[in-house]
Amino acid sequence: MIRFLLRRLAFLLLSLAGLVAITFVISHVAPADPAALAAGPDATASMIATIRHQYGLDRPLPLQFLRYVGDLARLQLGHSIATGHAVTADLAVYLPATLELVLLAMGFAIVMGVTLGILAAVRREGLVDHFARIFAVGGIAVPAFWIALILQLLFSVYWRLLPIGGQLPVAIAPPRPITGMVILDALLREQPAVASTALVHALLPAFVLSLPCLASILRITRQEMIEVLQAHYVRTARAQGIAPTRVVTRLALRNAMVPILSMIGLRFGFMLGTTVLVETVFDWPGLGLYAVTSATSADFAPVMGATLAIGVLFMLATLVVDLLYAVADPRIRVS
Amino acid sequence: MRRRTMLTGTAAATAGAIAAPGGAEAFVTEGKRRTLVFSGGQPVPVLDPHVKYDYSTRLMQQSIYDALLKYIDNPPKIIPWLAKSWDVSKDGLTYTFHLVENAKFHNGDPLDAEAVRFSYVRGLKLNKGIAWMLKAHLDPAGIKVVDPHTVAMTLKEPFPGFISFVPWWFIVNPKQVMAEAKNNDDGQGFLIAHEAGSGPFKINRWDPQAAMVLDAVPDYWRGWEDGDANRPSGIIFQVIREPAPRREALLHGSVDIITDMSPDDYDSLAKVKGIRVPDEPGMAPFTVMFNCAWGPTADVNLRRAIAWAMDYNALIAIENGHARLMDSPFPPAMQDHIAVPGIPRKDLAKAKAFLAKTQYAKGGLTLDYLYVAGLEVERQVGLTILAALEPLGIKVNVQGVPWPTVMARGTQPKGGPAMIAVYVTPVSTDPDVVASQYASSAAGSYWGMHHLHDPTLDKMIAEARIELDQTKRAAMYAEIQKRIVSLQPAIFGMLENRRWAMKDDVEGFVFCPIRLTGEVDLYPMWIKA
Repeated sequence: MIRFLLRRLAFLLLSLAGLVAITFVISHVAPADPAALAAGPDATASMIATIRHQYGLDRPLPLQFLRYVGDLARLQLGHSIATGHAVTADLAVYLPATLELVLLAMGFAIVMGVTLGILAAVRREGLVDHFARIFAVGGIAVPAFWIALILQLLFSVYWRLLPIGGQLPVAIAPPRPITGMVILDALLREQPAVASTALVHALLPAFVLSLPCLASILRITRQEMIEVLQAHYVRTARAQGIAPTRVVTRLALRNAMVPILSMIGLRFGFMLGTTVLVETVFDWPGLGLYAVTSATSADFAPVMGATLAIGVLFMLATLVVDLLYAVADPRIRVS
Repeated sequence: MRRRTMLTGTAAATAGAIAAPGGAEAFVTEGKRRTLVFSGGQPVPVLDPHVKYDYSTRLMQQSIYDALLKYIDNPPKIIPWLAKSWDVSKDGLTYTFHLVENAKFHNGDPLDAEAVRFSYVRGLKLNKGIAWMLKAHLDPAGIKVVDPHTVAMTLKEPFPGFISFVPWWFIVNPKQVMAEAKNNDDGQGFLIAHEAGSGPFKINRWDPQAAMVLDAVPDYWRGWEDGDANRPSGIIFQVIREPAPRREALLHGSVDIITDMSPDDYDSLAKVKGIRVPDEPGMAPFTVMFNCAWGPTADVNLRRAIAWAMDYNALIAIENGHARLMDSPFPPAMQDHIAVPGIPRKDLAKAKAFLAKTQYAKGGLTLDYLYVAGLEVERQVGLTILAALEPLGIKVNVQGVPWPTVMARGTQPKGGPAMIAVYVTPVSTDPDVVASQYASSAAGSYWGMHHLHDPTLDKMIAEARIELDQTKRAAMYAEIQKRIVSLQPAIFGMLENRRWAMKDDVEGFVFCPIRLTGEVDLYPMWIKA
């Protein structure tokens, strides 16, 4: 187990090094002058040079890379050239907001996806199954930003049931941060009204974010469950008179769980990527919005910081899924 | 609170919040006073008044800080603010400002001449944001404290436009700033996210991506424009990036005033009961700059042919009539503006005559037109050019690209696009601010994406800049405007009207064209109870 973990961590570091190199190169070969953009349209050549020097952009690219790697080793991700903020401090603010949204979306996707997948498999060719199959295709095929706009139009504009965007109304002060996640912090600070308002604000973006993941989990659950439910040992269990619910949940689902876990791990990464679109449409002040805002001003350090944060989370999620394989199926040894 | 009670409370509150959502959030505080909520699409990432300015940033900076002078009204005029008066020496070199005696910073420190000196020196030293306005004319050594309420600034050479830039230089509290300075940063790290101002509002809460909440300063040193009873309890700047939700927020009543909307949105909002849309003549010229240094448009006759083929009426139609055609490179509200005789208007015969003087007499060439992706007006202008140049046999490749790409491609003459859409936002009424954008020294900057190099024009601009005799200066700028038009570095397009949509109960709105697009002066504004 420990050897496995060490090996995976080494692999994670290697992947991280690759990610850093690729992100750095892509950012710096982009046809843009971040110093000129940060200096503003009126800036003189000397003002642009001042900014370029302050952020070390006048140094050769290999030296810039070495400096970046050196800073990274000290967990420093540089400063935004557009705002002057330390990227590490920005991530500490925006990452929890994204994680809150992703966790809500992932929780909803897992519960609904697995439930609907099981129902569709158990009642194959029934109404639920048809609905599930249509939903599984639609959830993946329809772009998240389009669904987001349509739902905003329906729920916020026409029916006025849900807020159109943001994490909280501007008139409500967020709770003093503990985790940085507003809903959780409001609960921990015993501010139920703030928690509920934040939850209502999260409903639409979390739902939109969950859709592709929900559809994928539903599809794989249905597919695996259909296969497992036809297996001899399931038939045997049924013949022995074990209650149908127990057969499905304890026996069949557990055996179908490994591919579902793989899908959840994979989708977690995609979901982090999708936040870029969803957070922009819903003005959710998270990592995705931070990355988009920074990218539009060719602000390298925040873009690289956000990419690294998402990359690390994705790798950690994959590691957790690998560990969960052993829990789901004792025949799999973590080695 | 017990966990179960709290969870039950949260669940009940959530159900309640869904049943009666978002709508009008009540911003009633301080008795009958209300908080004014302004929404735009652009965040406020930096507050330091000497480091950055754009419309949303300046909207907040102007609310938190004071300058020696201030622009108000239309036509724009400069009024005393922290300076109650100022004198200019006969040689035009020394400006002496006499400060009001009751001004104080939010922490109670008096605002004196040393604070003014410190702020100007800091702005020049940092060499960012506003520095370009005065850097060439004023050295830090030229700024002297005469007495606690008098400060003198001696320029390197006469520059009559000096006063027109003073309203952009906000005064910060030196004690606060230097107390927080680290690693010789002159307090930049502190002023990014904190304030050290004396303005009518101070920061309550700030999330750079979402909102900035300001509280009114009840004992603001200058008092309140419509009296203490008629002031807001505070200001909220809410970032709503997409226009559609911003529009809905206004219609729902959760914001009071919005900006950054399309012409169609403004027109439809103007028809809504309870909402008004001020429609004021703007001062930000929209031009299509030619690449004068490289490619086919390096030939002035081709540039002239394109300018004469352009369908100018279409520009006004794109803005649903809420725009005026430019009659000079200078906007009309600018000092010494003239309507340049013979500025191009659509005339296909003239266009063909100019084309005949080029090596492309029969057309047969394709030109790139670059605009910022997502800006619908710029896209439609591109399509208008495409249609207008068809009779000349010129094809146009209309390309929408991200803002960084526009800057990267447009600021390089070699290989740069033939045409590029540019909004110019003059920050001063002094004509030099626009004239110098056509000088060779501007080539390669954002305003200088025309890459024009004309020594005659350079000389004319340099001479006019330092001329103290206003009559002579006006005549010089008249000639400069004519010279620029004759060189045709751009299609001189239109001046969009400035529009905002606001609720009828918003009081105190005063339009002043010397503000950045979307920016308003929030100080005199309040909401009728």
